[in-house]
Amino acid sequence: MEFLQPSTWDDAMAAKAAQPEAVPIAGGTDVMVELNFDRRRPPALLDLTRVAELTQWGTDGPLLRVGAGVTSRRLIAELGGRLPGLAMASRTVGSPQIRNRGTVGGNLGSASPAGDAHPPLLASDALVELASVRGVRRVPVAEFFTGPKRSVLAPDELVAAFLVAPAGGPQQFAKVGTRNAMVIAVCSFALALHPAQRRVGTGIGSAAPTPRRATAAEDFLAAALPWDTRGRLPDSTAREFGALVAAAAAPIDDVRGTAAYRRHALSVLAGRTLRWAWEALCD
Amino acid sequence: MGTLTRAVGQAHARLDGPDKVRGAARYSVEYPVENVAYAWPVPSTVVKGRITRVDTRAALAEPGVLAVLSYENAPRLTPAGDPELFVLQEPAVAYRGQIVALAVAGSLEAAREAAGLVRLEYDTWPHDTVLTENHPGLYQPSHVNPSLPTDTEIGNFDAGYAAAPVRVDATYRTPAEHNNPMEPHASTVQWQGDRLVVHDANQGPGQVQAGLATLFGLPPERVRVITEHVGGGFGCKTMRCCVVLAALAARHVDRPVRLALTRQQMFGVVGYRTPTIQRIRLGADPTGRLTASCHDAISQSSMLKEFAEQTAVYGRPLYAAPHRRTTHRLARLDVPSPAWMRAPGQCPGSFAVESAMDELAVTCGVDPVELRIRNEPATDPEEGTPYSSRNLVACLREGAHRFGWADRDRTPAVRRAGRCLLGTGVAGSIYPARSLVSSASAYAGPDGAFLVQINAVDIGTGARTALWQIAADELGVPPDRVMIRVGDTGLPEASLAGGSTGTASWGWAVAKVCREIRVQIDDVHGGSVPAGGVHAQVDTTADIQAQQTFSRYAFGAQFAEVRVDVDTGEVRVDRLLGVFAAGRIVNALTARSQLIGGMTMGMSMALLEEGLWDPRSGDWANHDLATYHVAGCADIEQIEAYWLDEDDPHLNPAGVKGIGEIGIVGTAAAITNAVYHATGVRVRDLPVRLDRLLGHRA
Ligand SMILES: Cc1cc2nc3c(=O)[nH]c(=O)nc-3n(C[C@H](O)[C@H](O)[C@H](O)COP(=O)(O)OP(=O)(O)OC[C@H]3O[C@@H](n4cnc5c(N)ncnc54)[C@H](O)[C@@H]3O)c2cc1C
Repeated sequence: MEFLQPSTWDDAMAAKAAQPEAVPIAGGTDVMVELNFDRRRPPALLDLTRVAELTQWGTDGPLLRVGAGVTSRRLIAELGGRLPGLAMASRTVGSPQIRNRGTVGGNLGSASPAGDAHPPLLASDALVELASVRGVRRVPVAEFFTGPKRSVLAPDELVAAFLVAPAGGPQQFAKVGTRNAMVIAVCSFALALHPAQRRVGTGIGSAAPTPRRATAAEDFLAAALPWDTRGRLPDSTAREFGALVAAAAAPIDDVRGTAAYRRHALSVLAGRTLRWAWEALCD
Repeated sequence: MGTLTRAVGQAHARLDGPDKVRGAARYSVEYPVENVAYAWPVPSTVVKGRITRVDTRAALAEPGVLAVLSYENAPRLTPAGDPELFVLQEPAVAYRGQIVALAVAGSLEAAREAAGLVRLEYDTWPHDTVLTENHPGLYQPSHVNPSLPTDTEIGNFDAGYAAAPVRVDATYRTPAEHNNPMEPHASTVQWQGDRLVVHDANQGPGQVQAGLATLFGLPPERVRVITEHVGGGFGCKTMRCCVVLAALAARHVDRPVRLALTRQQMFGVVGYRTPTIQRIRLGADPTGRLTASCHDAISQSSMLKEFAEQTAVYGRPLYAAPHRRTTHRLARLDVPSPAWMRAPGQCPGSFAVESAMDELAVTCGVDPVELRIRNEPATDPEEGTPYSSRNLVACLREGAHRFGWADRDRTPAVRRAGRCLLGTGVAGSIYPARSLVSSASAYAGPDGAFLVQINAVDIGTGARTALWQIAADELGVPPDRVMIRVGDTGLPEASLAGGSTGTASWGWAVAKVCREIRVQIDDVHGGSVPAGGVHAQVDTTADIQAQQTFSRYAFGAQFAEVRVDVDTGEVRVDRLLGVFAAGRIVNALTARSQLIGGMTMGMSMALLEEGLWDPRSGDWANHDLATYHVAGCADIEQIEAYWLDEDDPHLNPAGVKGIGEIGIVGTAAAITNAVYHATGVRVRDLPVRLDRLLGHRA
């Protein structure tokens, strides 16, 4: 197996173009598991850890641009104030060791339906920036995932960054699991309120072939929330929102939980995160 | 000597701790050996079958590959009792995952690659792998482990039960569970002429020596097994195929060989705790006094061997009832062989019995601590013998006091904190206190230093440190003048690490030999060690034979407090508290670690652990730690272990009962009893599943 170690972003893209079957490796917390279990045997690994550009974040107009090589730990420590939903999700990832190594680019690269970064990125309308020697494109994260562990990433492309507006309102993330750390989500849910636009963003994890939004629930809630009065949230609104979120999921029975349980739990998480977020907005 | 502080009872950090945290301690595959080769096992991909063809051409064509062993060419073995050790001898396949070939190469990578290239063809037959309560193959084994009666009956259970005004009849299920010590099974094997030198991770170097000697037709003295450090065992490191495979490979390629199983291979071949189906029937008077009790336990074993887990023995010496019965039935299936796992039998048995006692307490409207106290027997209710000491009631009282049990409202599903329901639960706990024959030697040097040697094995428990403390006290010297050596068949023969017998058995031999040294120095040599030193060796055969008849058990009481999310069914354990009566506690630090380790493992059993079986493929659906979940530190908010000062003169010179297993006994029931108290939902089928706590809502 070849081990490619570009030190610049241009070299990395060139290497990927020259050898599209090379598997990028960032923190390695997914890649090494696959290699160890002999699930895949790539002819080459493309080590991205020497590419300084990937580990940086900054602004791009009104948006934050966060490099694919930023780790979960740094998302929490450096961006927790501006991206609270993503930071909450990142806090639930694995263990300190995994959070120190695992990157957001790797989470996107794996495109697992259970990836914890995905629901908050969906809820906040993030764009994924993909780059190759052919050029750069920005894909709404809702269009990024195409199936379980599949995405629109072309063979010669790399994830460069994601772009997202700093939170303009309360954000929440909740996850159900059987233990307190090192646990894959049975299901998860992210919510973002955008009071300026009177919009709502959602993201569902681990309850469909891909992470997905609950658009009908978003539309319902945007119309139903008492944005002007900031009055009490009617229970019926929270319940209806929960039901619509559950309806948007397409869960399966598996080792971690039944489909019926996942739908039920999602409706609970949706109602719960909504109450927390609405309270925060009205405080 | 009057001013010397006793070492026993002190919280000594373990002697091997500094080496372990610095990475200086060597484990079995870390010993430097020249010209070493590596072996990688090939598991069968069929469940029940017969190998018809072994094609090793592609494997042997890999650079660096030395050999591929299979039943066709492996050196011949002599059966040694356990058919799981008779590896690579026959074309028959008894379960999926059984090792059917072994690749050997100059590097680990080449061995692994070659193993993947071995092509095997099989004839196969339909398989039968699922245990049910009416499986047609259920039978009554002649005895259950280790050599206990299969069924017992005192009085007339049927009549007693029929006449009882209050009855509980419930069936409990526990899934297969996997031991999963941190270190896998691992061996480095060298043939030195006709001598076999083995570094091996196991719980009984003497057992491995005897096993290898039989298998390879050698006198035992030509087999040396060195087991300096072991990264945990929990029962699965009694002798396993790993060391046999390494020895076969080393003989075949005429080079030293290393073999460490992978985590995934461990799920297949090192044993697991059998799933159990247990029916408990309790008959009582309205105040909760038992008049009849029956425990019917069903478990499984493989086609290779009969392993009859002693599930229903748990209650035999525990609670009083004039009419009582226990039975065991076993089904032999096309599955991997189950084996020992921490508190075998007792642990799953305690889940059923202690749950049923809680159900009885609810039915009678009696506090569950009080219910257990009401059923306290004066003598062993099945054997009729007196207890050497019995402090279950004291543990329950002390635990209730420390836990704050007194004002507990028994009504289920009424305590709410935010979105969670809160509940508390209790369970009793019992574990046999046995001592096995061991020998030890000691040497007193003229410089005032002492060396104590015994082929005991420290599998990470702190056994070495405890023995060193016992030795120092018996010699009447500060411990820093004592050196202890364990884990080598070159040392005096000792029993294996299992059944919580280690410190009791080895400590007996160590205490005895140290007393002997003391006598020689004081009485023979007038108080000073002569220039040539003083040497002594003892064994405890006669002492153990001379033991009076007593029922010897450690007891405990386990308390749990849980929080259940009413909407998602997530269960969190806020607090576990155990109080144990286990004789003298030799080392307060390592003892606490053993007890809270056992309790945490019991919590893991209650909430997480489950070997999921796929009947179609005849294999575990989960066989790694990403899918087989084990509780971690983050899963327990507060955990406390206490022990009573127990002075039991009928045990052994060190006065110890053993603490390696009792911590896991009863824990799961304490937690599910607390879940019932929190939610009103009775969990009879482990582990607790989120969806089942929500009933109709999910
Ligand atoms: C013990 C353990 C616990 C875990 N717990 C969680 C958890 O709780 N939640 C969770 O979401 N995940 C969890 N994971 C999975 C993993 O840690 C995350 O998915 C992590 O974000 C992966 O990041 P990485 O940098 O390690 O990725 P890598 O392993 O380096 O890469 C992952 C994938 O992305 C590709 N890739 C990486 N970078 C790029 C790039 N710039 N462009 C294109 N492709 C790229 C790789 O080729 C690979 O396919 C866990 C993993 C382990 C081992």
